[in-house]
Amino acid sequence: MAVKIRLKRMGQKKAPFYRVIVADSRSPRDGRFIAEIGTYDPTKEPTAFSINEEEAKKWLGNGAQPTETVNRLFKKAGIVK
Amino acid sequence: MGTGKGMGGQAVFDDVNEKLKEVYELSILYDFYGELLGDHKKQIFEDYVLNDLSLAEIADNAGISRQGVHDIIRRCTKALRGYEEALCLAEKFGRIKQLVGQISEVSAELSEAAENQCGEGAIKEAVSLGVPKIVECAGMILKEL
Repeated sequence: MAVKIRLKRMGQKKAPFYRVIVADSRSPRDGRFIAEIGTYDPTKEPTAFSINEEEAKKWLGNGAQPTETVNRLFKKAGIVK
Repeated sequence: MGTGKGMGGQAVFDDVNEKLKEVYELSILYDFYGELLGDHKKQIFEDYVLNDLSLAEIADNAGISRQGVHDIIRRCTKALRGYEEALCLAEKFGRIKQLVGQISEVSAELSEAAENQCGEGAIKEAVSLGVPKIVECAGMILKEL
């Protein structure tokens, strides 16, 4: 079973705001997720990314796959190289 | 984009920022013009930009090929950018939002000055600086509408 770390869009129209969630890759559309480990707000200047680093590293260590976008955020935050 | 292939630290970073900006841009454009895409396309684009699913996952869900999903997303992106070029609603929205932000900033400064009861002189000064700024921003917003 593959576990993914992905963004989930929240917020109103025209004011996007994302949660960084850990979810089972087999139930991508039903909105269920295992854990929420951070948030990302691209409307702020500069963009605001807050993440529970410990949790993120734990999930990555357990083999959870970040999506490309999440991976970029992790890179920026220095969590992955 | 345009940072060359020399993968120096900064170039990688710029590339990361560029891609993140693109995701943000697309989700704003989708908020404005998403309803103009067909139902099928809309769902696929939504999964890609809003739910952050991979092409393979979307392909699986929709029962089409990965290449098909890729094509749809490319076409949607092009369509959304075309709408924006013609109507500029998102750009306008961005400018107005920025101006309103300035007004609220200045107002907060003013009320702070009033609250701190920092002598009449200081309040007057804050007002004489802040109010013209608010008026200017309001004028620019009216022009945008």
